Amino acid sequence: MTCFLRWDPSWHLPCPSIHEELPGNCLTGPGKRPARLHGCSNCSGMGEEVMVAVPESVLKKQKREEEWELAKKQELAATKKKNAENRKLIFNRAKQYAKEYEEQGKQLVQLKREARLKGGFYVDPEAKLLFIIRIRGINAMHPKTRSILQLLRLRQIFNGVFLKVNKATVNMLHRVEPYVTFGYPNLKSVRELIYKRGFGKLTQQRIPLTDNSIIEQGLGKHGIICVEDLIHEIITVGPHFKEANNFLWPFQLKAPLGGLKKKRNHYVEGGDAGNRENYINELIRRMN
Amino acid sequence: MQFIVYKAPTTSSIADTPHNRQMAAAARPLVSVQPLPGSLNDMATDHVTTVALPDVMKASIRPDIVNFVHSNISKNSRQPYAVSKKAGHQTSAESWGTGRAVSRIPRVSGGGTHRAGQGAFGNMCRGGRMFAPTKTWRRWHRKVNVNQKRYAVVSAIAASSIPSLVMARGHRVESVPEMPLVISDSAESIEKTSTAIKVLKEIGAYPDAEKAKDSQAIRPGKGKMRNRRYISRKGPLIVYGTEGAKLVKAFRNIPGVEVANVERLNLLKLAPGGHLGRFVIWTKSAIEKLDSIYGSFEKCSEKKKGYVLPRSKMVNADLARIINSDEVQSVVKPIKKEIKRASLKKNPLKNLNVMLKLNPYAKTARRMALLAEAERVKSKKEKLDKKRKPVSKWLLLYALVLRMEAVNVNGFLCVLRMSEQFDFSGIDDWQNNLEELAAAKAAGKAWYKTMISDSDYTEFDNFTKWLGVSQ
Repeated sequence: MTCFLRWDPSWHLPCPSIHEELPGNCLTGPGKRPARLHGCSNCSGMGEEVMVAVPESVLKKQKREEEWELAKKQELAATKKKNAENRKLIFNRAKQYAKEYEEQGKQLVQLKREARLKGGFYVDPEAKLLFIIRIRGINAMHPKTRSILQLLRLRQIFNGVFLKVNKATVNMLHRVEPYVTFGYPNLKSVRELIYKRGFGKLTQQRIPLTDNSIIEQGLGKHGIICVEDLIHEIITVGPHFKEANNFLWPFQLKAPLGGLKKKRNHYVEGGDAGNRENYINELIRRMN
Repeated sequence: MQFIVYKAPTTSSIADTPHNRQMAAAARPLVSVQPLPGSLNDMATDHVTTVALPDVMKASIRPDIVNFVHSNISKNSRQPYAVSKKAGHQTSAESWGTGRAVSRIPRVSGGGTHRAGQGAFGNMCRGGRMFAPTKTWRRWHRKVNVNQKRYAVVSAIAASSIPSLVMARGHRVESVPEMPLVISDSAESIEKTSTAIKVLKEIGAYPDAEKAKDSQAIRPGKGKMRNRRYISRKGPLIVYGTEGAKLVKAFRNIPGVEVANVERLNLLKLAPGGHLGRFVIWTKSAIEKLDSIYGSFEKCSEKKKGYVLPRSKMVNADLARIINSDEVQSVVKPIKKEIKRASLKKNPLKNLNVMLKLNPYAKTARRMALLAEAERVKSKKEKLDKKRKPVSKWLLLYALVLRMEAVNVNGFLCVLRMSEQFDFSGIDDWQNNLEELAAAKAAGKAWYKTMISDSDYTEFDNFTKWLGVSQ
């Protein structure tokens, strides 16, 4: 569109003695049109003051910016307060969990001693939680076992995931036994894995768990707001284990220091594959 | 540089629709008609008259369309060229074939002259036909859509009214009083070229014509000998309205100046070289006719059937103004100045501060663990200390001496009493300890004696010799 406004000498004349009335609309542009010419002393009752002409849109923008600033400040104050409250809550929860774990440990020892005293044996209840690590690479695999490993989110060698124990998962594990090793992790394993190598899944992205707000964003609706909550949910396979576990991106572990014994064989044959129950913890120490 | 303005439209809100804009532009800018010098007396008495700016001057300026149309239209006046179709073939040459130690190109038959045996026909041969001989039936002319041609002309007319574009094209319009430059109709009856020049001087268009005259030169290159010997710049284009006006003859001999009838405007003249912004001088009747020839944005043209001026993609192309306008700014979100970027992940198991960020209870837990550890260490030490009594170095020395059986007990004590270093306190305790020590020693000796005989090694014949004891 051609510009048909041209330089007008009248734009540079001093302000006329008569207060010029221009239609309201024409103050919406910066600079191109003369703004309301105010500077005459006889029209405003403000004495010798010369007011600077400011376009209306600039005034509106200033007001809008003030409102935004105010809103931002209020929001900041609100989040700060909420954070402080949360902090206390997290502290208390962590304390409660620490007590719980200690109590569990002590109880186990006591039961064992009691059984020994009576001359019998204490049998641990069947484990509810498994940690699986994939120990073989990606080539030359049957497509069905490949799909199962994909379902378990073990797409890369030395990836690890937690898993609930039930008939379905046990049968899946049976199919993929030669490619994985798994066992029952203890509290120290779970804690160390989540603290050192914990990443969360937020909007399909792998975000490091550097702050409790990330966990709150992902699992807040299930009441899990901090790392300790998450650890507790995993280790005592809680009601929202599925969501919590899925929130955790598969752990990318390093190749075990000291090596594996023999990938090709099952653990009971002196190799590494399959269920190694409690000895998984030792492997996790070497791989974390 | 003095440009007299006309009154701009009163509203400047961007909420103009083209329709509104039309309504607003009903109060169209006015162009004042330049009066001519006093010898053409009918203008002298009148006031300065004005003409409303025709809508064509507000059409969108599209250099791309103008360039395209110009480059195609300028092909239409070409004359065909071609080489003779017989060239290179007026021989009866034939290839000698293989076996004669020469290349296989067709060679001229016959003998008795240089030409015999020379290569012929090929484009690589001397005297042969060229590669792909040019033909007259090459497509010389180009068809351009009528609407595109009209768009280009309309764009060129609009560009001619913008002083910056005209100056950019190179015309000397510094002393022109107004753009677009309109002169009164009395100019159409000018008969003498001398008056024409005077008129040009009056209206400030002479420097442009002068420039054209000064630039007359001989063309560099072969065009010289191809009937295109001289070149020069283009001067003003005079556009007149009435048919058969005398001004054609008056102005046509002035170097650089061209004349055109408004009803037959040529893009090749309005945008020479495909470049917009020719300096155009309109007569009053010409500019009045423009509205009827090209119509307006809403109204069809009267001369061109069903033609309406082209609509621009953006009515208001001033992006800065649109963005900063109130309508846009009122719905815009605040600027995000602080962008949070991902920071390096630190290991909470090693870094206490990072651990505390995640788990505030960790501090007290660690403190309690440290205290408990210190407690444990202390209590263990106390327990052990209680069990073990402290043994002085003299006692140890005595034990050693006893073993060696060199001195009896009392003798040793005499020696010690004589030396001043000995501390007599706790000597009773000492005696008890001594007894204990002696008992332990005796028990050890007794066991040592029965060590060999009690063991199972004596059963084996191999060991009897050096064990020296049989069961």
